[in-house]
Amino acid sequence: MAKPLIVALGGQEFPLELSKVERSDLYGFVEIETLDEKGRKCALATLADDGKTLIGPSGAALVTLSPDGEWLEKKMLKPTDMQGNAITPCASSYAAPVPLQGRATVEEYLSHNIRYVYQIASAVDLGPLMAELQKGVIFQFPYSFRGGLEPDAGFLLLAADGTPFIAIGSPTKLEFVGLAQTAGVAEEESGDDEEESLDFSMM
Amino acid sequence: MGTINLSNSKGRDAVVGSQSVLKPVKVRYLDEQGRQAQSGRVIKGDMSHDLKALEAAAGGREKVAEALIAGDPEVDVESFGTLLRDTSRVYVDPDGKIVHKVRQFEVVKNPDGTERERRPRKVTQPNTATELPLKWSGKLMKKKEVYNRFVFAGKRQIVHVNGLTYDFLYGMTKELESSESLLLLGSGPKGNLPLVLTRGGQQYRGFLEGRTEGDKYCLILHLSNMELKKAAAPAGE
Repeated sequence: MAKPLIVALGGQEFPLELSKVERSDLYGFVEIETLDEKGRKCALATLADDGKTLIGPSGAALVTLSPDGEWLEKKMLKPTDMQGNAITPCASSYAAPVPLQGRATVEEYLSHNIRYVYQIASAVDLGPLMAELQKGVIFQFPYSFRGGLEPDAGFLLLAADGTPFIAIGSPTKLEFVGLAQTAGVAEEESGDDEEESLDFSMM
Repeated sequence: MGTINLSNSKGRDAVVGSQSVLKPVKVRYLDEQGRQAQSGRVIKGDMSHDLKALEAAAGGREKVAEALIAGDPEVDVESFGTLLRDTSRVYVDPDGKIVHKVRQFEVVKNPDGTERERRPRKVTQPNTATELPLKWSGKLMKKKEVYNRFVFAGKRQIVHVNGLTYDFLYGMTKELESSESLLLLGSGPKGNLPLVLTRGGQQYRGFLEGRTEGDKYCLILHLSNMELKKAAAPAGE
């Protein structure tokens, strides 16, 4: 069993088991099948700039290079922000209990791009935590799976179907714009079924 | 900055700006001399040295181990570690030869992996900046009731391109803000089809949100392609 994410609220700790929910879990998925003229399955490959070297899916690697093109070991490099200030790495969220101190408004939550969602379960009674979530509270906390330079934004909230979820996302650069900052409609058919218009499986 | 053709609640439409809200990368790596490092891609092995090629050359998988002990048949000393630049994506047949003419099919599968449908591939076309504006659906959903119904995976900020469109968008934003709701936004004549921002791109449901601060506004197009709900059998961590 995977290590639980332990969250702390009101002096009580709750070990949470996270199960990732993806679009394919809800609606299925689409695979693209590519056939040649003889009906044989084809695969994608990379053609190098010499026009003849073909590289398969695991035939290339990412490396870090100096400005002179010399190979560098990433662990020997110093991570900094854009001003050159050293960045202190953050620990994994699984290394110690995560205090649920921050709360986000709906607008703050909506200002993030959500990349992953996990439905949560626990072997212990989540009663006190669920009571808060049922009030509409959105807990916000820094989240890092392995630890790293910049934690993601983690949110603990209750989905509309009553399932508690952890959503992991990134903040965006939404801004208010003023006047100085510049950078034939068909008739609506009445009686449309709202559920039909929200059919996510059709996509 | 992209464009989007949008109509308001009065049926007036305008082509306005649509910009990314992704935050730029804030981390860079410096070497001992304080110079910024860069990333690159290098060749580990080409297809003439992969397992399939080695099997064919050795006469079976069981003989590959002997060949690996005897020498380095998986390494091409001429290409190993070569920087990859200006590459192209190509299709290859089972013999490893480039294919110039292909037929593509979409195989639609259920969540359990069973096949539901097979059809010729249809490449999606962008539909947010066409002659037909995205219409004001009038389907408003209270923010407090909708934030936990969908996974908002992406967003674009809608911005004006001149004084007229400033008034147009500010009015639309104010209307949405006062309703405390998100407006369901779709494409097509009825406004009920998914939004596609780029050719061959993901299909999304759109939700328009408005926020104002004095005479400034923030009109956000939220994009979602899944609901936030319990899965029968989630993928797991």
